Amino acid sequence: MRILESLWKTLDERLELAPLVEFAEHKVVPQHRHSWAYYFGGLTLFFFMVQVATGILLLLYYRPTAEAAFESVQFIVTRVPFGWLIRSIHSWSANLMILSAFAHMFSVYLLGSYAKPRELTWWSGFLLLLLAMGFGFSGYLLPWNELAFFATRVGTDMVSKVPFIGGWLLKFLRGGEDVTGATLTRFFGFHVAVLPMITTMLIAAHLAFIQRQGMHVPETLEEEAKARKPIRFVPNFMMREGIVWLAGLAALAALAAFFPWELGNKADPFASAPAGIKPEWYFLFMFEALKLLPAHVLGIEGELVGLGAFSLAGLIWFLVPVLDRGSRLGHRSRAFLALGWLALAYIVVFTLASLAGVLK
Amino acid sequence: MKTTPLFALAVIAAATAAAAPAPNTVGAPGKHAQDTCTACHLALDDQRLNTPAKLAEHDIHHNQGVTCAGCHGGDPTSEDATVAMDPARGFKGKFDRQAIPEMCGSCHSDAAFMLRYSPNIPTDQLSQYRTSKHGQALGKGDTNVAVCSSCPGAHGVFQVSDARSPVYPTHIVDTCGRCHADAALMGKYGIKGTEVAEYKQSIHYAALVNKNDLSAPTCKSCHGSHGATPPGVSSVSNVCGTCHVSQRERFDLSPHKDAFAALSQPACESCHSNHAIVHPLDSWIGVGPNQKCGDCHSAGDPGAAAAGTISSALAGASAALSTVQKRVDLVRRAGMLMDEADVKLEDAHQAYIMAQVEIHTVTPSRVEEKTKAVLAGTAAADKLAADAEAEIRYRRAGLFISLCVIALAMVALILKVRSIER
Repeated sequence: MRILESLWKTLDERLELAPLVEFAEHKVVPQHRHSWAYYFGGLTLFFFMVQVATGILLLLYYRPTAEAAFESVQFIVTRVPFGWLIRSIHSWSANLMILSAFAHMFSVYLLGSYAKPRELTWWSGFLLLLLAMGFGFSGYLLPWNELAFFATRVGTDMVSKVPFIGGWLLKFLRGGEDVTGATLTRFFGFHVAVLPMITTMLIAAHLAFIQRQGMHVPETLEEEAKARKPIRFVPNFMMREGIVWLAGLAALAALAAFFPWELGNKADPFASAPAGIKPEWYFLFMFEALKLLPAHVLGIEGELVGLGAFSLAGLIWFLVPVLDRGSRLGHRSRAFLALGWLALAYIVVFTLASLAGVLK
Repeated sequence: MKTTPLFALAVIAAATAAAAPAPNTVGAPGKHAQDTCTACHLALDDQRLNTPAKLAEHDIHHNQGVTCAGCHGGDPTSEDATVAMDPARGFKGKFDRQAIPEMCGSCHSDAAFMLRYSPNIPTDQLSQYRTSKHGQALGKGDTNVAVCSSCPGAHGVFQVSDARSPVYPTHIVDTCGRCHADAALMGKYGIKGTEVAEYKQSIHYAALVNKNDLSAPTCKSCHGSHGATPPGVSSVSNVCGTCHVSQRERFDLSPHKDAFAALSQPACESCHSNHAIVHPLDSWIGVGPNQKCGDCHSAGDPGAAAAGTISSALAGASAALSTVQKRVDLVRRAGMLMDEADVKLEDAHQAYIMAQVEIHTVTPSRVEEKTKAVLAGTAAADKLAADAEAEIRYRRAGLFISLCVIALAMVALILKVRSIER
């Protein structure tokens, strides 16, 4: 203990850490009937940290070339001690992270926490969700298996529909005309360097905004929050968050042990696409909607119309702190609340229907 | 049927008439023929006369510069019908059916002429035809039999490799069937007329139409095309052995070879039949009901004993393959990668196929040698499956311990939170 005290004293003398400790000691988290929603952000962060740790371990053996990628993952899951566990946790944690991020985003939206003065937190969070999906899309290709190869071909093909720059964007993503080893190398670069760098910076900003502004209390729950004693962030909330993280870890361990992530067959660019190619589950709501569109809508290509509509919807979602003018004054619009429920219902219904094979 | 002097004269006349086409009737290879024949005939209302001209559009001969006059004679450059179809200019009109082989052969048997179109084109069709049942019957004056125009067509002829051709592998069965499925017509020749229907029940036809395997045998693969004739008893194994080389080699080593020859019994056909060849089963081996060996052997004789040994060896190998395959599949469904076991099972499966090939030697020791290889492969795969099962148990035990530790940590945290919030 003396060593710790001495270390603390040394650091405090040099870095003046006492104000930070005081801030942490006085930081509190409001309590109300929906305060469970505060745990999703932390849970998403936990899964992200798992991703970083397992990702680094996978990097020790993974080889990002079309010739060796599949074999290296095969080597990891069959020969490397606990390689199967690391790879399976990495895959499951990626999916749970996106699920948790979606839950976090919708709970924030439906509780109206995006309102002024938390616009920057909302925007940074929105960008983080896009980055998480980018992680998923780029990481999906890395094992270089059949499903990933053809799903990436379909996925990247969609960007070619973007007016004016579609062709250039397609070549930029693929590193050529088609999905090849060049695409794999490129996606690997995005997945382990570009995206982590941007994500880490954005997470730091996102957390800084939250710590600076504190937790938001919805207007309808203000009375309840005032009536109940808030809990201290350190150590009470941190311990509670710890319990949630442990639950997340238990879920990961169980999923990895009982449902090891499949590797499939090595990609063969000259083979015909297997039937029923689908993207990862978090893209299904868009994928299925695009499939339902007719070939042409008012003379414009159906897919282009769909992608335009999704882009517009994403923009509206992003700008909601500005568009929902009442929220700035603490009176959020019922229309935007309804829009949130509608978006949630659409995503859930289309995703589940696609997974159940209802949509053909 | 007797060959009449009149018919002999006709054949001689046709043979005399059969000579390479006049230079002005054949254009440059690769260039579609230009002639006045098609131009006039297309304008005719009589369907009988305009159809050949319509078919000329995609006819291989026309596409290679051969005009109508290349076969029918006459002057293909004259717009005057009386000149174009003047017998003095070699016009022959519609061919007598008996003259068709010689007429086609006038070009197709001329190696120098055919070299213009392809360096490797066969030129022995006419000589083969003369040896065929069709050619022999035609020579005897039977005009019901197939001539050249019966199969690939007279006008609008496609290359054999063209999927539209009546002699393309997927069509040839029905082309032969136009006559050979006609029981009334075939009855005149002592043929059942059920051969096409039987063939369509066979594994060969299934491979052709279901798997689109164009190498699967059709009528011409066994009977020949231009030289079509039924394979004789002594040559059946040679015909089947063209594709089933290993089986033929084993059969030639077996005591069955001499025994079947002595009995004038066909080799492969005795067990597998001819047209309605189905997938052979291990259960055929034995002298019991519906078992093939029982056709010649009976219980207690050395052949029946050998069949019993072979049957037991195969049954043991088959059971081992099936059992281990199921175990490996179960482990795979539990999420384990079983690539190595798959390789061992594939080797075992190959050895099993070889054991089935060795049946043709009817020598139990040769079959058992292969079934031992099957059992070695399945044992190796089985061990890998057992190892994988142990790994699954280890993982689940590890998971259970981990979950216990996590649960303990959660309980400790919950208790701590309660104590500090009390």
